[in-house]
Amino acid sequence: MNIEPKLSHFLTKVQNIEKRKFEKKIKIAILSSFTINGLAETLQVKCAEKNIDCKTYVGGYNQYNQEILDKKSGLYQFFPDVTFLILDIRNILGDLFYFPYSISTSKRRDLINEKTNEIVTLAKTFVNNSKSKLVITNFVQPAYSSYGIAESKIEYGFHEMINNLNTNLIQKFCNTDSVYLYDFNSFVSLHGEKNVVNFQQFLVGDIKISLDYIPYLANDLMAYIIATLGLSKKCVVLDLDNTLWGGIVGEDGFDGIKLGPQPPGNAYMEFQRNLLALFQRGILLAINSKNNPEDALKVIREHPYMILREENFASMKINWNDKVLNMKEIATELNIGLDSMVFFDDDPLNREYIEINLPQVNTVNLSSDPSLYSQILQEINEFSILKITNEDTTRGQMYHQQLQRKELEQTSPNLGDFLAQLGIHVLIKKTNNFTIPRISQLTLKTNQFNLTTRRYQEEDIRKFLQDDKMLVGCAQVEDKFGDNGITGVFIVKKEKPTEWLLDTFLLSCRVMGREVEKGILNFILDTAKKNGVQKIKAQFIPTQKNKPSESFLPNCGFKKNGEYWIYDLDIPFESPKYVQVNVE
Amino acid sequence: MSQRLYSLIAKVMNVPVSQVNDASGPGSIDSWTSFKGYVLLYELEEEFKTKFTIDEALDVKTVADIKRHLQNHGIALN
Repeated sequence: MNIEPKLSHFLTKVQNIEKRKFEKKIKIAILSSFTINGLAETLQVKCAEKNIDCKTYVGGYNQYNQEILDKKSGLYQFFPDVTFLILDIRNILGDLFYFPYSISTSKRRDLINEKTNEIVTLAKTFVNNSKSKLVITNFVQPAYSSYGIAESKIEYGFHEMINNLNTNLIQKFCNTDSVYLYDFNSFVSLHGEKNVVNFQQFLVGDIKISLDYIPYLANDLMAYIIATLGLSKKCVVLDLDNTLWGGIVGEDGFDGIKLGPQPPGNAYMEFQRNLLALFQRGILLAINSKNNPEDALKVIREHPYMILREENFASMKINWNDKVLNMKEIATELNIGLDSMVFFDDDPLNREYIEINLPQVNTVNLSSDPSLYSQILQEINEFSILKITNEDTTRGQMYHQQLQRKELEQTSPNLGDFLAQLGIHVLIKKTNNFTIPRISQLTLKTNQFNLTTRRYQEEDIRKFLQDDKMLVGCAQVEDKFGDNGITGVFIVKKEKPTEWLLDTFLLSCRVMGREVEKGILNFILDTAKKNGVQKIKAQFIPTQKNKPSESFLPNCGFKKNGEYWIYDLDIPFESPKYVQVNVE
Repeated sequence: MSQRLYSLIAKVMNVPVSQVNDASGPGSIDSWTSFKGYVLLYELEEEFKTKFTIDEALDVKTVADIKRHLQNHGIALN
């Protein structure tokens, strides 16, 4: 169980956040209908621990309406990236929170519809006035009802009212860009209403979330910050013995390991089910285990109670090599950073070894009790992304196809032969409601093949679409092994009628090295030429991670001119031989 | 025991322990805001395994008040 330090720890630590160069920065606004002091400080400390410079703005006590409605408020002048709106049901329902049955059933229904509309209108006003994401907490359904056990016999009773308000908000906001609903009701269920609500703190200081639980709330809200900054973890790397099954397969044998529907084997099955659920939403799984490959693979392929099978692993390092070396090889193979990886190993020595040598990897402090593995996994909030795209749900499958491509590459005599056999098709797709979430996600997450690493939220992409001077596109890449989904993005600024600027050009690591990038560039150059453009300007802005794209512009015939690279459209571009490009 | 109390107050208020005495309170320690006052009460309850009533919580103006309430809860500080 994740134990958070006390609030005073964060209040002290925030004073000592050292002034340094952070890797990322974010501006967070907090609006609330009650006293929520301490949350901003806790978020600042938690951000600093993740190398994020976090500036905060806390709205006045119960001033959230004024802050949102007044275009000149401190909130808007702060220009937040993420705004948390934390509301309490007592403030929304007023006296009817205590006396809901003083009005008729139909009036109770009208009241909830009216309150839903008020919140939706407030959110819309905010969205119109700010580029920030808005995260609204839903409402806690208290265990108590003045009607006691008769509560469930009342038509549209107190509990149903709150439930209905929460459901309405989900429906209203599920397709609204940049507004997210945080399930505060589940937070209270998880920690217990008796713990989260401290009546003395509530009555003395209008503190409706007990000071004990502010750090836990901050931990949950960090998921939005991590997702907004594109820092979500992408891969879980797993040991095998005593991690995916109980016992040591090399010693206990195929039949002797603990894995099955009875305890303690069921703890490992439960853990594997939770891992499979992560795999199905786009988190990659990999193995880093010191083992005899034959013994371990036999379990993975043939054990009747194994939930995870070979096709669920994007990379398998089952050998007697150094675990740090294996970890680095997994990162290279999957084309992801070590800082995108979470490592599970039952052996504290192995964990310490990885922690010391690869501090970028999140090494999970695994309990010695396997029945807690699933809980520990569920408490990791760093896998969070704001919206799950089609590409996310099929990612694991795509990486498995990638393994098949690698096998083909190894048996092909040369690169040309390999690319010809792949049969690569690039489809340039329109930017629309279906593709915008993925375009934004790629700009936020892509580090390696990314010329400028400009990060754009969905709202930014939508604004570009309204602008005649911008051209936004994306590319879907397919080959004989399958569909890689949308894996390329370009954003062009039409600076002058004769000169366009390549603002963003990126390629997901899963299609790198197949000349797909040249196919996409060819499309951009062609489009520019047809529009009478003479020059394409581009930039390479180096980061710690985008070395793989450093030589792309010179290799494609761009000439350096000051801080820009220029392509003269009079010079014909040699499109790649093995890549077929079509336009939607 | 007094030292234990002073240390805790110094930690919560983020001031040197030498700055804390029985007369200390919001008037003499700038960081002693009403919110920090609640944080302090919660830390005191944890530290001394006790629970203040709402009247006691509202009555705290100085360290001496805290001592008095702790003593009323059977916690001797001197």
